[in-house]
Amino acid sequence: MKSLLFLPEIYYTVMALVLFLLSVQTVANRRRTFLVAFGLASLGLFVTLFSVKMHGHLFYNAYRVDLFSQVFKFMLALGLFFVVAICDNLEGISEREHAEFYFFLTTCTIGMMMLVSAVELLTFYIALELSSYSLYILVPLRRGTGFDKEAGVKYILIGATASAFLLFGMSLLFGVSHTTYLPELFKLFPNLITQPAGAIGLMLVLAGLFFKQAVFPFHFWAPDVYQGASNQVTTYIATASKVAAIAIVIRFVGLASENNHMLVQVLTVLSVASMTFGNLVAIIQKDIKRLLAYSSIAHAGYVLIGILTLDKTGFASAMFYALAYLIMNFSCFMVIVKVAPNGRNVWVKDLAGLHKRSPLLAMTLMLGLFGLAGIPPTIGFTGKFLVFLAAMQKGYLALVIIGMINATISLYYYLIIIKAAYLLEPDEDEIPPLKVGAGLKILNYGLIAAIVLLGIAPSQLFDIAKAAASMLY
Amino acid sequence: MFVKDPILLACTITVVLPFLSFLTIICYTRKWEKVSCSISIGAILISLICAIYLFIASRHFAEPLQYKLPWIISGKTIIPFGFLVDHLSMLMLVIVAVIASLVQIYSLGYMAGDPGFSRYYAFQSLFAWAMMTMTVAPSMIQFYIFWELVGLASYLLIGFYYEKWSASQAGKKAFVVTRIGDVGMFIGLVILLLFYGNLSIVGVNSAAVAKQIPAPLITISAILIFCGVIGKSAQFPLLTWLPDAMEGPTPVSALLHSATMVAAGVYMFARLFPFFSGSADALQFALLIGTITMVLSSTMAMVARDIKQVWAYSTVSQLGYMVMALGAGGYVSGMFHLTTHAGFKALLFLCSGVFIHHYHTNDFFVMSRQGARSLKVPMVCMTIGALALSGVFPFSGFFSKESIMVALASHPNKIWLAAGLFGEVLTAYYTFRLIFVMLFPKEMEETHHEEEHHEGEGILYWLMGWPLIILASVTCVLGFFEKQFEHYLLGDYILAHGVEHGAEAAHAGGHWLTITAISLVAIGVAVAWLEYGRKGASQEGFLSRMPAIEKLFARRWYMDHFYRWALDMIIYSGFTNIFTRNDRRVIDGGIDGLCRGTEGSGRIASFLQSNMVQYNIFVMVAILGFVALSFLG
Repeated sequence: MKSLLFLPEIYYTVMALVLFLLSVQTVANRRRTFLVAFGLASLGLFVTLFSVKMHGHLFYNAYRVDLFSQVFKFMLALGLFFVVAICDNLEGISEREHAEFYFFLTTCTIGMMMLVSAVELLTFYIALELSSYSLYILVPLRRGTGFDKEAGVKYILIGATASAFLLFGMSLLFGVSHTTYLPELFKLFPNLITQPAGAIGLMLVLAGLFFKQAVFPFHFWAPDVYQGASNQVTTYIATASKVAAIAIVIRFVGLASENNHMLVQVLTVLSVASMTFGNLVAIIQKDIKRLLAYSSIAHAGYVLIGILTLDKTGFASAMFYALAYLIMNFSCFMVIVKVAPNGRNVWVKDLAGLHKRSPLLAMTLMLGLFGLAGIPPTIGFTGKFLVFLAAMQKGYLALVIIGMINATISLYYYLIIIKAAYLLEPDEDEIPPLKVGAGLKILNYGLIAAIVLLGIAPSQLFDIAKAAASMLY
Repeated sequence: MFVKDPILLACTITVVLPFLSFLTIICYTRKWEKVSCSISIGAILISLICAIYLFIASRHFAEPLQYKLPWIISGKTIIPFGFLVDHLSMLMLVIVAVIASLVQIYSLGYMAGDPGFSRYYAFQSLFAWAMMTMTVAPSMIQFYIFWELVGLASYLLIGFYYEKWSASQAGKKAFVVTRIGDVGMFIGLVILLLFYGNLSIVGVNSAAVAKQIPAPLITISAILIFCGVIGKSAQFPLLTWLPDAMEGPTPVSALLHSATMVAAGVYMFARLFPFFSGSADALQFALLIGTITMVLSSTMAMVARDIKQVWAYSTVSQLGYMVMALGAGGYVSGMFHLTTHAGFKALLFLCSGVFIHHYHTNDFFVMSRQGARSLKVPMVCMTIGALALSGVFPFSGFFSKESIMVALASHPNKIWLAAGLFGEVLTAYYTFRLIFVMLFPKEMEETHHEEEHHEGEGILYWLMGWPLIILASVTCVLGFFEKQFEHYLLGDYILAHGVEHGAEAAHAGGHWLTITAISLVAIGVAVAWLEYGRKGASQEGFLSRMPAIEKLFARRWYMDHFYRWALDMIIYSGFTNIFTRNDRRVIDGGIDGLCRGTEGSGRIASFLQSNMVQYNIFVMVAILGFVALSFLG
């Protein structure tokens, strides 16, 4: 019965195998591939939902199944489902490679699911690399441009550096504590953090993780990868991968005790730098994907505000923010994927006249952007509110004020996109209306409802997040 | 609760129905004109019935009846919402309901075929709701809220032909100018609230106020509250909006600017009369303002050529009379004049409306030449109204003015009486100037309107005719009910609160006063007859021989010019200029600078994002090194 704890991972491994079989077919059928992937991804949602309440240990306690990990697994499954749902017209990737595309998405998801459960350093590292390698392959998988190859190389190089930091940090941690198990580390940590080796070890590990989350100064890959990778892959990196990154950062920062001023200071500096840098540079971007890359750097900063409080409420608020970010960011990317002609990149001015071409998509985009900017009553406002509230309870007033100023700056470039969608007239007179299928409509309504309803009534979700955060160790 | 208490039920119905009608029309039935007007008229008629019932039911009340529902509770201050049923409020309620119903019925004819017909009825309902809720307000907060809503409704109705520049300007002027007075009123109310603790009307009128607030403060707050009266009732120096407000449809003028809305100011004066009488200085101030207003506006009416303008100026001067009466302590005479004036002034406006509707002009000289006197019903009714306005026996105006003169006579300073009597001459003169011109045209034009008349004399004509006849008959008989009126209004209530009404006691000894007044009116009429009425009259007033004075009167004593000048000099080139500069330079400039700075720093920061991977990695390592160093140090 114990193996049932591993159910989501098993399910997605099976799904990966099915997709692998499809990829070795001589005749590629993109419709069939899509339907299979979509069906399996939808089913996966139920599987992860079913296993949310499970808890226990596996593999000699290297693997921990609890509410924290299971909630994140559900979010990851949701992210995969979202991305697969908008792949019905996968024009950015050549038809022969569609099955591989789904296959690597799935393996990446498996890797991240294991990542949020792993409580042993080596298991953790292997899971991290499984997800990273999948992404290394997915990024240059784009048809045409050649830009993707540059982005792919850059991603690998910076990723390799980050991995080096991570491994070095882990070895330091092992050196001072003689254990690779996180719960045992957690017990020893109050003493270890005072030693230089312990502190630097933790810092190096976090550096490796911040790479995934694209926190300044480990963000250099993000703009190029967002821009270079195909739209669907970018969507996946911007949603599911960010959620996993938030989970593991919480896991490692949670090692430190609550009153660790040095760590708080470092995280504060990184958070402020991330927010400010991301928002400022985003202002001058023309390519929406690149713009959202910088916005994601800024959001990594907001999440850090919640995390650096080092207490349960702060972690819970960061978890809530992760979900909010998943939904809002996906809403924006979904519209971009739909608007993109032949899977190319979308510039801000390409959105001109969107509200006439498809009022529904324009509405989803607007709500998604309002959410990202933190305008009530969207889920994004609630997320920011909870994060700022957690920081306020710790007395970090200056940090909250900086965060709010940054939210104001970010409003500027989000509104530029909304202005393009609603107020600009397209250059050409005749732009055909966008066809929005029934399934996509349902997805749109669902997203709109989630953005607004969860913004108004977040308490139940936040309670779950709090319960999950208290399970951390 | 409602079933057990018919008074509460009636109050609720009276007040709520017009509001529901407004909502229904504005939201649902704008496309169907017939439905809209039926809803509105039905609502106001039911309200009228309820109001009459309340009027009768409340005749024996010794104490005012209050219904209150807490609306806002903040600390110790409770702001209630509800009804105050006493003689004064019920009297006003009936006046408002009667005039509003008649005007709405009349409008069926006047507004027929107007593209904004439904909108018109929606605004009429809004007005009726605001005015009636204000009338029955138990606290000054509710009173103030609906006072402003009345202002809003009148703004909407004056600017009803909003596509016309002058109409929208007039609406704006009415709104802004009355607001100036309202600011004073609001400050006065706040002073009362601060020092007395609540604003219930019964409480403010009670003797307890004088004990809690020092006397100078009572005077200040009374004068500030009186500013509201100055604005709403178009008293000097804020009287210039009312003549301009005639841009609205004529029934609107009849409703708002003669009978009800401007009377709201006087009503408030009467409503808080015991409070005002707590300060002799405030009463003196009111008396002064009323007198100036009365004389100034009478002179303006002497030279106007627009029929609605003449009635507008006469309204202002009659309001001046009411304020004078109240200021002199004549509570009953002021309210009585308000009542009679509501009747005959609505009558005059509605009659003018018939003429304007027929001849498409406002100039009564032109109307006259085109044969205005052939419209029998409105002509007769208008003459009755004019007789009442100038105070000729036995029409209602005679009795109410008489009672005002008595009130003024009882005042120790006789200068007010002299001014009042002088006003009688002017009133008679300008009124009959108009009537004689209309009746005895100098030369007749061959009218091409003849055929239209016959078409016009259908159901629409009589829809407009019947309200005239009703109002004319009321005007004829109302005066004889002065005793009953006084009895009803005073009851035991005012007596119980120790208001002197010595004015009424002096009634008996005033025979000489009556005779003087009558002869003065006769002089005024005679002058008008000599100049306009008799055969071969020049139809030029004696003022035309004094062009400077005529110009002074025609230009409204240069008040508008003065305001324009003050506005330009003080507001526009003073405050506005400074604030605009502040806005442009400091605020806009600052924000622009901030935006440019932000964007510029974005450009600078983006240099960090070069495409050289080795450089990127170098930055990562360098920063990590710094972090490590800071940990160690």
